[in-house]
Amino acid sequence: MVDDHPMWREGVARDLTEGGFEVVATAGDGAEAVRRAPAARPQVVVLDLQLPVLSGVEATRQLIAADPSVRVLVLSASGEHADVLEAVKAGATGYLVKSASREELLDAVSRTAVGEAVFTPGLAGLVLGEFRRLSAAPSTPSGPPAPRLTDRETEVLRLVAKGLSYKQIAQRLVISHRTVQNHVQNTLTKLQLHNRVELVRYAIEQGLDDELG
Amino acid sequence: MTVATATLRPPEQPADVGIETAVWRALAVFRVLGLLYAIAVYLRRYDEYAHPLGGWLVLALMAGWTVITAVAYGRPHLRRWPLLGADLVVAVGTVVATRFLDDADRIAAGAQTLPVVWAATPVLAFAVRGGWPAGVAAASGVGVADLVHRGALTVPTADNIVLLLLAGAVVGYTVSLARRGEGALARALAVQAAASERERLSREIHDSVLQVLALVGRRGQEAGGEAAEVGRLAADQERALRALVSAAPETVDGEVDLRALLSAYATSSVTVSTPATPVVLAAARAREVAAAVGAALANVTAHAGDAARAWVLLEEAGSEVVVSVRDDGRGFDCDRLEEARAEGRLGVSASIEGRVRDLGGTAVLESTPGAGTEVELRVPK
Repeated sequence: MVDDHPMWREGVARDLTEGGFEVVATAGDGAEAVRRAPAARPQVVVLDLQLPVLSGVEATRQLIAADPSVRVLVLSASGEHADVLEAVKAGATGYLVKSASREELLDAVSRTAVGEAVFTPGLAGLVLGEFRRLSAAPSTPSGPPAPRLTDRETEVLRLVAKGLSYKQIAQRLVISHRTVQNHVQNTLTKLQLHNRVELVRYAIEQGLDDELG
Repeated sequence: MTVATATLRPPEQPADVGIETAVWRALAVFRVLGLLYAIAVYLRRYDEYAHPLGGWLVLALMAGWTVITAVAYGRPHLRRWPLLGADLVVAVGTVVATRFLDDADRIAAGAQTLPVVWAATPVLAFAVRGGWPAGVAAASGVGVADLVHRGALTVPTADNIVLLLLAGAVVGYTVSLARRGEGALARALAVQAAASERERLSREIHDSVLQVLALVGRRGQEAGGEAAEVGRLAADQERALRALVSAAPETVDGEVDLRALLSAYATSSVTVSTPATPVVLAAARAREVAAAVGAALANVTAHAGDAARAWVLLEEAGSEVVVSVRDDGRGFDCDRLEEARAEGRLGVSASIEGRVRDLGGTAVLESTPGAGTEVELRVPK
């Protein structure tokens, strides 16, 4: 559990313990989270984005780089659009606003633990917007092609963004609950994969520049 | 310790000189150089003048006036038409005086005037003060003086007059252009300063007030009863305050980020989802779209039932902005809506459809009894 606000950190940790989870460690900033993770070996990291020392986005990136099996659930205030999207691109698989109830939090943590993507309508709106932006941006010849959503994936994401539950979406589209989950999961995987390819390309370009310069 | 901090500070930057001060200073320098040139020219030819002493007197007057204007034009409140007018009269006077002080044959042969280029300074001053029309007007004045001096329209005189007119027009135009650029830069800097101050405030508020409000909201709702009401109020305040500190101000050219306008509608029962990047629209259009969304949400409050929640989704699809407003309320039969529309008693969608149609867009309303209502607005950017 990572949050720089002690009241929050303790409150959420208590909720999690009462909900049957074991809180293996708490941290007050991003760097501390990255430092303590190897020894504490958490399955799920619940993380605020606005952290001192090391930002939530960077902490997410380093936590997942150190242990690809760790799941990151962003628990952040509403309205931090760009940061939430960056954290998801860096590998976070869920996002919940701080105004969510205790039941929603416990549900989100258990779903994150089994590898499900936890989408709020807000996150669906951000991901939709990001795919639209990527497909609208002029493609560079050397770069990887912009990832695209299938029509079905777009449809599912739009329904998530409009507040429908997975169950309601399954009913409306006459598909199984599992299929809805897969569609949502796929959109995240595409975004994260694209982000990794971009990062590698960037690193190579920088490296080449350094050698030439 | 204090001393150490002080020495680490970068040296004081000189006060930023605005374009106004810089231009008037340049004019003073030009006038001094013009005076020196006039003296140099006169030193070689004064014995050929009909009245050499008169020539020296005019040069002395020019030197005095050069000093006076250097001081006077240095003061912003004196850079007004009376001083500029006097400046022009002095310049015209020195040119015309040459006709009476110089030898008539020399004048006919094309000799220079006493002040030479010094007489062009009021033209530049007029251009700086009043733009190209004033510059051209002053150039005409000095041009007439040149004609009086020569007594005939010779080719060199015509050349001089054209050069004066061009100088007046070009300098006037350039200075007004630079002034506008300076104004735009100042406005841009002000917007930037406001934005960074807002960012700082937003950070501070995020780290303190918003965290506590969110916590109160959460704990209150868990406790139930009256505390739940307190919690709900705190949660609403948290959202409102966050929308306030994160709302983007209007950009310099009157465009706004539609996300900021729509985010203001978020409450504990209304969720607003947007892209991570700004959705920029002309301010007036953005406000109309926001008003249409507001009408749709008011409709939810009025008709969908007390427990109804609503979701607003903002998307940017190519050249269109798409806003969906969905609620999970009672819903209604779309046939009844058509009936109501036919009977002309339709507050429901009139204000939404009217606004959207005025923007050249479309509004589609869908509803099923018991399964909520959805409005989709499509508006070209």
